[in-house]
Amino acid sequence: MAKKPSMGRQKIKIAKIEIKNHLQVTFSKRRSGLFKKASELCTLCGVEISIIVFSPAGKVFSFGHPNVDSIVDQFLSRNPPPNTTTRHLIDAHRNASVRDLNSQLTQILNELEAEKKRGETLDHMRKLASQRKYWWEKPIDELGLNELEQLRDSMEVLKKNVTNQTDKLFVEDKLFVEGNVNPSPFFSANGIAMVDSAEIKPYQMNASSTPPHVQNIGYGHGFF
Amino acid sequence: MTRKKVKLAFIANDSARKATFKKRKKGLMKKVSELSTLCGIDACAIIYSPYESQPEVWPNTAGAQRVLTQFKRMPEMEQSKKMVNQEGFIRQRIAKAAEQLKKQCKDNREKEMTEVMYQCLTGRGLQNLAMADLHDLGWLVDQNLKEIHKRIDSLKKSASSQVVAPGGSSKSATSEMARNGGGQGPGAGQQEQKPVVDLGADAMQSRPQWFTDWVNNPNENMGFGGDDQMMLPFGDGHGAMWSSAFFP
Repeated sequence: MAKKPSMGRQKIKIAKIEIKNHLQVTFSKRRSGLFKKASELCTLCGVEISIIVFSPAGKVFSFGHPNVDSIVDQFLSRNPPPNTTTRHLIDAHRNASVRDLNSQLTQILNELEAEKKRGETLDHMRKLASQRKYWWEKPIDELGLNELEQLRDSMEVLKKNVTNQTDKLFVEDKLFVEGNVNPSPFFSANGIAMVDSAEIKPYQMNASSTPPHVQNIGYGHGFF
Repeated sequence: MTRKKVKLAFIANDSARKATFKKRKKGLMKKVSELSTLCGIDACAIIYSPYESQPEVWPNTAGAQRVLTQFKRMPEMEQSKKMVNQEGFIRQRIAKAAEQLKKQCKDNREKEMTEVMYQCLTGRGLQNLAMADLHDLGWLVDQNLKEIHKRIDSLKKSASSQVVAPGGSSKSATSEMARNGGGQGPGAGQQEQKPVVDLGADAMQSRPQWFTDWVNNPNENMGFGGDDQMMLPFGDGHGAMWSSAFFP
Protein backbone atom coordinates (compact mmCIF):
# COMPACT_ATOMS: atom_id res chain seq x y z
CA MET A 1 0.00 0.00 0.00
CA ALA A 2 3.07 2.27 0.24
CA LYS A 3 3.30 5.15 -2.21
CA LYS A 4 6.28 5.16 -4.45
CA PRO A 5 8.54 8.00 -3.33
CA SER A 6 8.36 10.83 -5.84
CA MET A 7 11.37 12.68 -7.11
CA GLY A 8 10.84 15.57 -4.74
CA ARG A 9 11.53 19.15 -5.63
CA GLN A 10 13.81 19.39 -8.61
CA LYS A 11 15.29 22.55 -10.00
CA ILE A 12 14.29 22.92 -13.63
CA LYS A 13 15.35 25.14 -16.44
CA ILE A 14 12.84 27.78 -17.43
CA ALA A 15 12.52 26.91 -21.07
CA LYS A 16 9.85 25.20 -23.07
CA ILE A 17 9.54 21.58 -22.02
CA GLU A 18 10.54 19.15 -24.74
CA ILE A 19 8.53 16.07 -23.81
CA LYS A 20 4.86 16.55 -24.59
CA ASN A 21 3.64 14.44 -21.72
CA HIS A 22 5.77 16.31 -19.19
CA LEU A 23 4.56 19.57 -20.64
CA GLN A 24 0.93 18.61 -20.18
CA VAL A 25 1.46 17.40 -16.64
CA THR A 26 3.42 20.53 -15.78
CA PHE A 27 0.72 22.71 -17.22
CA SER A 28 -1.98 21.00 -15.22
CA LYS A 29 -0.10 21.17 -11.94
CA ARG A 30 1.24 24.67 -12.32
CA ARG A 31 -2.03 26.12 -13.50
CA SER A 32 -3.70 24.69 -10.43
CA GLY A 33 -0.96 26.06 -8.19
CA LEU A 34 -1.15 29.44 -9.87
CA PHE A 35 -4.89 29.74 -9.20
CA LYS A 36 -4.30 28.66 -5.65
CA LYS A 37 -1.76 31.43 -5.13
CA ALA A 38 -4.08 33.94 -6.73
CA SER A 39 -6.94 32.83 -4.51
CA GLU A 40 -4.75 33.17 -1.42
CA LEU A 41 -3.59 36.62 -2.46
CA CYS A 42 -7.20 37.75 -2.81
CA THR A 43 -8.12 36.42 0.60
CA LEU A 44 -5.06 37.64 2.46
CA CYS A 45 -4.85 41.09 0.96
CA GLY A 46 -8.34 41.79 -0.25
CA VAL A 47 -7.34 42.58 -3.82
CA GLU A 48 -9.06 41.89 -7.12
CA ILE A 49 -7.37 39.60 -9.59
CA SER A 50 -8.01 37.99 -12.92
CA ILE A 51 -5.81 35.40 -14.57
CA ILE A 52 -6.36 33.96 -18.02
CA VAL A 53 -4.38 30.97 -19.27
CA PHE A 54 -4.52 29.06 -22.53
CA SER A 55 -3.81 25.36 -22.32
CA PRO A 56 -1.45 23.56 -24.72
CA ALA A 57 -4.58 22.09 -26.29
CA GLY A 58 -6.12 25.48 -26.83
CA LYS A 59 -8.70 25.46 -24.06
CA VAL A 60 -8.88 28.51 -21.83
CA PHE A 61 -8.76 28.48 -18.03
CA SER A 62 -9.58 31.60 -16.07
CA PHE A 63 -9.72 32.66 -12.47
CA GLY A 64 -11.21 35.92 -11.26
CA HIS A 65 -12.13 37.64 -8.06
CA PRO A 66 -14.80 38.97 -7.78
CA ASN A 67 -15.23 37.46 -11.26
CA VAL A 68 -13.30 37.29 -14.50
CA ASP A 69 -15.62 39.37 -16.66
CA SER A 70 -15.88 42.40 -14.38
CA ILE A 71 -12.10 42.65 -14.09
CA VAL A 72 -11.53 42.12 -17.79
CA ASP A 73 -14.15 44.71 -18.74
CA GLN A 74 -12.75 47.16 -16.25
CA PHE A 75 -9.30 46.69 -17.71
CA LEU A 76 -10.30 46.92 -21.33
CA SER A 77 -12.57 49.89 -20.93
CA ARG A 78 -10.29 51.63 -18.51
CA ASN A 79 -13.32 52.76 -16.59
CA PRO A 80 -13.42 52.46 -12.85
CA PRO A 81 -16.11 50.06 -11.57
CA PRO A 82 -19.48 51.50 -10.56
CA ASN A 83 -19.41 52.45 -6.91
CA THR A 84 -23.04 51.82 -6.08
CA THR A 85 -24.68 50.65 -2.90
CA THR A 86 -25.90 47.52 -4.67
CA ARG A 87 -22.37 46.66 -5.61
CA HIS A 88 -21.26 47.10 -2.03
CA LEU A 89 -24.00 44.81 -0.84
CA ILE A 90 -23.11 42.19 -3.38
CA ASP A 91 -19.44 42.47 -2.47
CA ALA A 92 -20.15 42.19 1.24
CA HIS A 93 -22.32 39.15 0.70
CA ARG A 94 -19.72 37.50 -1.49
CA ASN A 95 -16.91 38.24 0.93
CA ALA A 96 -18.88 36.71 3.78
CA SER A 97 -19.44 33.50 1.90
CA VAL A 98 -15.80 33.39 0.82
CA ARG A 99 -14.81 33.77 4.47
CA ASP A 100 -16.98 30.81 5.40
CA LEU A 101 -15.59 28.69 2.62
CA ASN A 102 -12.05 29.53 3.58
CA SER A 103 -12.61 28.46 7.17
CA GLN A 104 -14.22 25.25 5.94
CA LEU A 105 -11.19 24.66 3.74
CA THR A 106 -8.79 25.37 6.57
CA GLN A 107 -10.62 22.94 8.79
CA ILE A 108 -10.57 20.11 6.33
CA LEU A 109 -6.93 20.70 5.47
CA ASN A 110 -6.10 20.46 9.16
CA GLU A 111 -7.99 17.19 9.42
CA LEU A 112 -6.14 15.90 6.40
CA GLU A 113 -2.81 16.81 7.90
CA ALA A 114 -3.73 15.09 11.16
CA GLU A 115 -4.69 11.91 9.36
CA LYS A 116 -1.47 12.00 7.36
CA LYS A 117 0.50 12.22 10.60
CA ARG A 118 -1.48 9.33 12.00
CA GLY A 119 -0.61 7.34 8.90
CA GLU A 120 3.07 8.04 9.45
CA THR A 121 2.81 6.93 13.05
CA LEU A 122 1.16 3.70 12.01
CA ASP A 123 3.81 3.11 9.36
CA HIS A 124 6.51 3.63 11.95
CA MET A 125 4.80 1.20 14.28
CA ARG A 126 4.60 -1.41 11.58
CA LYS A 127 8.27 -0.91 10.80
CA LEU A 128 9.19 -1.49 14.45
CA ALA A 129 6.90 -4.48 14.68
CA SER A 130 8.31 -6.14 11.60
CA GLN A 131 11.78 -5.85 13.09
CA ARG A 132 10.68 -8.34 15.72
CA LYS A 133 10.89 -10.86 12.93
CA TYR A 134 7.82 -13.01 13.10
CA TRP A 135 8.07 -14.81 9.82
CA TRP A 136 4.39 -14.51 9.11
CA GLU A 137 4.58 -10.75 9.10
CA LYS A 138 6.89 -10.77 6.11
CA PRO A 139 5.43 -9.89 2.75
CA ILE A 140 3.61 -12.82 1.24
CA ASP A 141 5.98 -12.94 -1.70
CA GLU A 142 8.85 -13.75 0.62
CA LEU A 143 7.26 -16.78 2.21
CA GLY A 144 7.93 -20.35 1.30
CA LEU A 145 5.18 -22.73 0.29
CA ASN A 146 5.01 -24.46 3.62
CA GLU A 147 4.94 -21.19 5.50
CA LEU A 148 2.19 -19.94 3.25
CA GLU A 149 0.09 -22.99 3.92
CA GLN A 150 0.55 -22.64 7.66
CA LEU A 151 -0.32 -18.99 7.48
CA ARG A 152 -3.32 -19.74 5.38
CA ASP A 153 -4.57 -22.21 7.93
CA SER A 154 -4.07 -19.77 10.77
CA MET A 155 -5.89 -17.09 8.85
CA GLU A 156 -8.78 -19.45 8.17
CA VAL A 157 -9.04 -20.12 11.86
CA LEU A 158 -8.98 -16.42 12.62
CA LYS A 159 -11.65 -15.84 10.06
CA LYS A 160 -13.87 -18.42 11.71
CA ASN A 161 -13.33 -16.85 15.08
CA VAL A 162 -14.20 -13.43 13.75
CA THR A 163 -17.42 -14.77 12.29
CA ASN A 164 -18.27 -16.50 15.54
CA GLN A 165 -17.58 -13.41 17.56
CA THR A 166 -19.66 -11.31 15.21
CA ASP A 167 -22.58 -13.67 15.55
CA LYS A 168 -22.14 -13.70 19.29
CA LEU A 169 -22.30 -9.93 19.51
CA PHE A 170 -25.27 -9.83 17.24
CA VAL A 171 -27.18 -12.21 19.46
CA GLU A 172 -26.15 -10.33 22.58
CA ASP A 173 -27.49 -7.11 21.17
CA LYS A 174 -30.76 -8.69 20.35
CA LEU A 175 -31.00 -10.03 23.88
CA PHE A 176 -30.08 -6.66 25.26
CA VAL A 177 -32.77 -4.91 23.33
CA GLU A 178 -35.32 -7.49 24.32
CA GLY A 179 -34.35 -8.39 27.82
CA ASN A 180 -31.85 -6.14 29.54
CA VAL A 181 -28.80 -8.32 29.17
CA ASN A 182 -25.43 -6.51 29.35
CA PRO A 183 -24.88 -4.52 26.20
CA SER A 184 -22.08 -5.63 23.94
CA PRO A 185 -19.33 -3.32 22.78
CA PHE A 186 -21.37 -2.90 19.60
CA PHE A 187 -23.29 0.05 20.92
CA SER A 188 -20.72 1.61 23.13
CA ALA A 189 -18.18 1.61 20.33
CA ASN A 190 -20.52 3.51 18.10
CA GLY A 191 -20.94 6.15 20.70
CA ILE A 192 -24.64 5.61 21.17
CA ALA A 193 -25.34 6.13 24.83
CA MET A 194 -26.93 3.05 26.26
CA VAL A 195 -28.42 2.35 29.60
CA ASP A 196 -26.12 1.58 32.49
CA SER A 197 -22.74 2.53 31.12
CA ALA A 198 -21.10 1.06 34.21
CA GLU A 199 -21.64 -2.34 32.66
CA ILE A 200 -19.81 -1.44 29.52
CA LYS A 201 -16.18 -2.36 29.79
CA PRO A 202 -13.76 0.19 28.41
CA TYR A 203 -11.99 -0.99 25.31
CA GLN A 204 -8.78 -2.67 26.35
CA MET A 205 -5.70 -3.90 24.71
CA ASN A 206 -4.46 -7.29 25.77
CA ALA A 207 -1.48 -7.37 23.48
CA SER A 208 1.85 -7.72 25.20
CA SER A 209 3.64 -5.63 22.66
CA THR A 210 3.15 -1.96 21.99
CA PRO A 211 -0.53 -1.61 21.25
CA PRO A 212 -1.69 0.53 18.41
CA HIS A 213 -4.49 2.98 18.97
CA VAL A 214 -7.31 1.01 17.51
CA GLN A 215 -10.02 3.49 18.04
CA ASN A 216 -13.55 2.26 18.01
CA ILE A 217 -14.59 4.97 15.71
CA GLY A 218 -18.12 4.23 14.78
CA TYR A 219 -17.75 3.66 11.10
CA GLY A 220 -21.14 2.13 11.12
CA HIS A 221 -21.05 -0.94 9.00
CA GLY A 222 -17.29 -1.06 8.79
CA PHE A 223 -14.93 0.91 6.68
CA PHE A 224 -14.33 -1.33 3.73
CA MET B 1 9.51 29.12 1.70
CA THR B 2 7.86 30.50 4.82
CA ARG B 3 8.48 28.93 8.16
CA LYS B 4 5.22 29.87 9.77
CA LYS B 5 1.90 28.71 8.48
CA VAL B 6 -0.21 31.68 7.43
CA LYS B 7 -3.86 31.73 8.35
CA LEU B 8 -6.10 31.87 5.33
CA ALA B 9 -7.92 35.09 6.24
CA PHE B 10 -7.74 38.79 5.55
CA ILE B 11 -4.65 40.27 7.18
CA ALA B 12 -5.90 42.91 9.58
CA ASN B 13 -2.57 44.57 10.20
CA ASP B 14 -2.10 47.19 7.45
CA SER B 15 1.66 47.09 7.14
CA ALA B 16 1.78 43.31 7.30
CA ARG B 17 -0.87 43.15 4.63
CA LYS B 18 0.95 45.56 2.36
CA ALA B 19 4.24 43.67 2.80
CA THR B 20 2.53 40.35 2.07
CA PHE B 21 0.88 41.85 -0.96
CA LYS B 22 4.17 43.05 -2.42
CA LYS B 23 5.88 39.70 -1.89
CA ARG B 24 3.07 37.52 -3.10
CA LYS B 25 2.24 39.68 -6.06
CA LYS B 26 5.84 39.40 -7.22
CA GLY B 27 5.74 35.64 -6.72
CA LEU B 28 2.47 35.32 -8.59
CA MET B 29 3.79 37.22 -11.59
CA LYS B 30 6.86 35.03 -11.59
CA LYS B 31 4.69 31.91 -11.61
CA VAL B 32 2.61 33.17 -14.53
CA SER B 33 5.76 33.90 -16.47
CA GLU B 34 7.22 30.45 -15.74
CA LEU B 35 4.02 28.73 -16.75
CA SER B 36 3.94 30.62 -20.00
CA THR B 37 7.56 29.79 -20.85
CA LEU B 38 7.62 26.17 -19.69
CA CYS B 39 4.47 25.23 -21.52
CA GLY B 40 4.69 27.62 -24.41
CA ILE B 41 1.27 29.08 -23.82
CA ASP B 42 -0.36 32.52 -23.74
CA ALA B 43 -1.47 34.00 -20.46
CA CYS B 44 -2.17 37.25 -18.71
CA ALA B 45 -2.69 38.45 -15.15
CA ILE B 46 -4.37 41.62 -13.92
CA ILE B 47 -4.24 42.81 -10.33
CA TYR B 48 -6.20 45.74 -8.90
CA SER B 49 -5.15 46.83 -5.46
CA PRO B 50 -5.74 49.76 -3.12
CA TYR B 51 -1.98 50.35 -3.16
CA GLU B 52 -1.74 51.36 -6.81
CA SER B 53 -4.04 53.46 -8.95
CA GLN B 54 -3.15 51.47 -12.06
CA PRO B 55 -3.55 47.71 -12.23
CA GLU B 56 -0.47 45.55 -12.21
CA VAL B 57 -0.37 43.57 -15.43
CA TRP B 58 1.55 40.62 -16.85
CA PRO B 59 3.15 40.50 -19.31
CA ASN B 60 2.39 44.16 -20.02
CA THR B 61 -0.61 46.20 -21.13
CA ALA B 62 -0.24 45.40 -24.81
CA GLY B 63 0.45 41.73 -24.21
CA ALA B 64 -2.52 41.43 -21.87
CA GLN B 65 -4.79 43.12 -24.35
CA ARG B 66 -3.73 40.65 -27.00
CA VAL B 67 -4.55 37.71 -24.79
CA LEU B 68 -7.85 39.23 -23.74
CA THR B 69 -8.88 39.84 -27.34
CA GLN B 70 -8.08 36.23 -28.08
CA PHE B 71 -10.14 35.27 -25.03
CA LYS B 72 -13.12 37.38 -25.96
CA ARG B 73 -13.10 36.01 -29.48
CA MET B 74 -13.90 32.54 -28.16
CA PRO B 75 -17.52 31.42 -27.91
CA GLU B 76 -19.18 32.23 -24.59
CA MET B 77 -19.43 28.60 -23.67
CA GLU B 78 -15.74 28.00 -24.18
CA GLN B 79 -14.90 31.02 -22.08
CA SER B 80 -17.05 29.98 -19.15
CA LYS B 81 -16.34 26.26 -19.23
CA LYS B 82 -13.19 26.52 -17.19
CA MET B 83 -13.96 29.87 -15.61
CA VAL B 84 -13.94 30.04 -11.88
CA ASN B 85 -14.23 32.64 -9.15
CA GLN B 86 -13.15 32.57 -5.53
CA GLU B 87 -16.18 30.75 -4.25
CA GLY B 88 -16.14 28.12 -6.95
CA PHE B 89 -12.43 27.63 -6.66
CA ILE B 90 -12.45 27.20 -2.90
CA ARG B 91 -15.33 24.76 -3.21
CA GLN B 92 -13.22 22.74 -5.64
CA ARG B 93 -10.34 22.73 -3.17
CA ILE B 94 -12.63 21.59 -0.39
CA ALA B 95 -13.98 18.75 -2.51
CA LYS B 96 -10.48 17.61 -3.43
CA ALA B 97 -9.30 17.76 0.18
CA ALA B 98 -12.36 15.79 1.27
CA GLU B 99 -11.49 13.06 -1.24
CA GLN B 100 -7.93 12.89 -0.01
CA LEU B 101 -9.11 12.79 3.58
CA LYS B 102 -11.45 9.92 2.86
CA LYS B 103 -8.68 7.94 1.20
CA GLN B 104 -6.22 8.69 3.98
CA CYS B 105 -8.71 7.55 6.61
CA LYS B 106 -9.31 4.35 4.70
CA ASP B 107 -5.59 3.68 4.43
CA ASN B 108 -5.08 4.40 8.11
CA ARG B 109 -7.92 2.12 9.03
CA GLU B 110 -6.36 -0.67 7.01
CA LYS B 111 -3.02 -0.10 8.73
CA GLU B 112 -4.70 -0.20 12.13
CA MET B 113 -6.52 -3.37 11.31
CA THR B 114 -3.33 -4.97 10.07
CA GLU B 115 -1.83 -4.46 13.51
CA VAL B 116 -4.92 -5.95 15.11
CA MET B 117 -4.81 -8.89 12.75
CA TYR B 118 -1.20 -9.72 13.56
CA GLN B 119 -1.93 -9.42 17.23
CA CYS B 120 -4.88 -11.76 16.90
CA LEU B 121 -2.66 -14.24 15.12
CA THR B 122 -0.47 -14.35 18.20
CA GLY B 123 -3.25 -14.77 20.66
CA ARG B 124 -4.99 -11.55 21.36
CA GLY B 125 -8.66 -12.09 21.96
CA LEU B 126 -11.51 -10.76 19.92
CA GLN B 127 -13.74 -9.92 22.85
CA ASN B 128 -12.93 -6.23 22.99
CA LEU B 129 -13.53 -5.50 19.36
CA ALA B 130 -16.66 -3.76 18.23
CA MET B 131 -18.81 -4.87 15.34
CA ALA B 132 -17.24 -2.39 12.98
CA ASP B 133 -13.76 -3.58 13.92
CA LEU B 134 -14.73 -7.22 13.46
CA HIS B 135 -16.25 -6.42 10.12
CA ASP B 136 -13.12 -4.68 8.89
CA LEU B 137 -10.88 -7.33 10.38
CA GLY B 138 -12.83 -10.03 8.57
CA TRP B 139 -12.47 -8.12 5.34
CA LEU B 140 -8.75 -7.76 5.83
CA VAL B 141 -8.29 -11.43 6.63
CA ASP B 142 -10.20 -12.27 3.46
CA GLN B 143 -7.97 -10.01 1.42
CA ASN B 144 -4.90 -11.65 2.84
CA LEU B 145 -6.29 -15.12 2.26
CA LYS B 146 -6.94 -14.23 -1.37
CA GLU B 147 -3.35 -13.19 -1.81
CA ILE B 148 -2.04 -16.24 0.00
CA HIS B 149 -4.12 -18.60 -2.11
CA LYS B 150 -2.96 -16.89 -5.25
CA ARG B 151 0.66 -17.16 -4.21
CA ILE B 152 0.31 -20.79 -3.17
CA ASP B 153 -1.26 -21.64 -6.51
CA SER B 154 1.44 -19.88 -8.45
CA LEU B 155 4.18 -21.60 -6.47
CA LYS B 156 2.57 -24.97 -6.92
CA LYS B 157 2.23 -24.36 -10.62
CA SER B 158 5.86 -23.43 -11.06
CA ALA B 159 7.00 -26.32 -8.87
CA SER B 160 4.98 -28.90 -10.78
CA SER B 161 6.30 -27.71 -14.08
CA GLN B 162 9.86 -28.53 -13.03
CA VAL B 163 11.78 -31.76 -13.46
CA VAL B 164 11.02 -34.27 -10.73
CA ALA B 165 14.15 -35.56 -8.98
CA PRO B 166 14.35 -39.26 -8.24
CA GLY B 167 14.32 -40.35 -4.61
CA GLY B 168 12.32 -37.42 -3.50
CA SER B 169 9.75 -39.57 -1.82
CA SER B 170 12.09 -41.11 0.66
CA LYS B 171 12.64 -37.93 2.59
CA SER B 172 11.32 -37.64 6.09
CA ALA B 173 8.54 -35.27 6.97
CA THR B 174 10.87 -33.08 8.94
CA SER B 175 13.47 -32.40 6.32
CA GLU B 176 10.79 -31.90 3.69
CA MET B 177 9.41 -29.12 5.79
CA ALA B 178 12.78 -27.71 6.55
CA ARG B 179 13.64 -27.33 2.93
CA ASN B 180 10.37 -25.79 2.07
CA GLY B 181 10.27 -23.53 5.07
CA GLY B 182 13.36 -21.71 3.98
CA GLY B 183 11.69 -20.24 0.97
CA GLN B 184 11.26 -21.59 -2.48
CA GLY B 185 14.75 -21.06 -3.87
CA PRO B 186 15.39 -22.24 -7.38
CA GLY B 187 13.39 -25.38 -6.60
CA ALA B 188 15.93 -27.45 -8.45
CA GLY B 189 14.97 -31.08 -8.36
CA GLN B 190 12.29 -30.60 -5.76
CA GLN B 191 9.11 -32.38 -6.27
CA GLU B 192 5.99 -30.52 -5.41
CA GLN B 193 5.58 -30.85 -1.69
CA LYS B 194 2.27 -31.64 -0.18
CA PRO B 195 1.69 -30.20 3.24
CA VAL B 196 2.93 -32.78 5.69
CA VAL B 197 -0.32 -33.03 7.54
CA ASP B 198 -3.78 -32.90 6.17
CA LEU B 199 -5.35 -30.24 8.29
CA GLY B 200 -8.99 -31.05 8.27
CA ALA B 201 -11.80 -29.09 9.73
CA ASP B 202 -10.93 -30.45 13.15
CA ALA B 203 -7.62 -28.70 13.21
CA MET B 204 -8.73 -26.83 16.24
CA GLN B 205 -9.36 -29.83 18.38
CA SER B 206 -6.48 -32.16 17.60
CA ARG B 207 -2.82 -31.41 17.71
CA PRO B 208 -1.58 -31.56 14.14
CA GLN B 209 1.48 -33.63 13.36
CA TRP B 210 3.37 -30.79 11.77
CA PHE B 211 3.15 -28.87 14.98
CA THR B 212 5.14 -31.49 16.84
CA ASP B 213 7.63 -31.65 14.02
CA TRP B 214 7.94 -27.92 14.06
CA VAL B 215 8.44 -27.77 17.78
CA ASN B 216 11.19 -30.36 17.47
CA ASN B 217 12.95 -28.48 14.73
CA PRO B 218 12.72 -24.87 15.71
CA ASN B 219 15.56 -23.42 13.73
CA GLU B 220 15.07 -25.16 10.45
CA ASN B 221 11.75 -23.76 9.75
CA MET B 222 12.34 -20.15 10.44
CA GLY B 223 12.43 -18.00 7.38
CA PHE B 224 15.23 -15.97 8.87
CA GLY B 225 17.21 -15.55 12.05
CA GLY B 226 16.59 -18.59 14.23
CA ASP B 227 17.62 -16.82 17.40
CA ASP B 228 14.32 -15.02 17.87
CA GLN B 229 11.65 -16.19 20.15
CA MET B 230 9.75 -18.85 18.39
CA MET B 231 6.30 -17.52 17.98
CA LEU B 232 3.67 -19.35 16.05
CA PRO B 233 0.78 -17.85 14.29
CA PHE B 234 -2.43 -18.32 16.12
CA GLY B 235 -1.21 -19.03 19.59
CA ASP B 236 -3.57 -19.79 22.41
CA GLY B 237 -5.66 -16.75 22.80
CA HIS B 238 -8.85 -18.58 23.15
CA GLY B 239 -7.86 -21.36 25.44
CA ALA B 240 -9.85 -23.84 23.52
CA MET B 241 -7.42 -24.26 20.69
CA TRP B 242 -3.78 -24.95 21.24
CA SER B 243 -2.50 -26.18 24.49
CA SER B 244 -0.10 -23.79 26.15
CA ALA B 245 2.46 -26.55 26.38
CA PHE B 246 3.62 -25.50 22.93
CA PHE B 247 5.04 -22.27 24.11
CA PRO B 248 8.47 -22.58 25.69
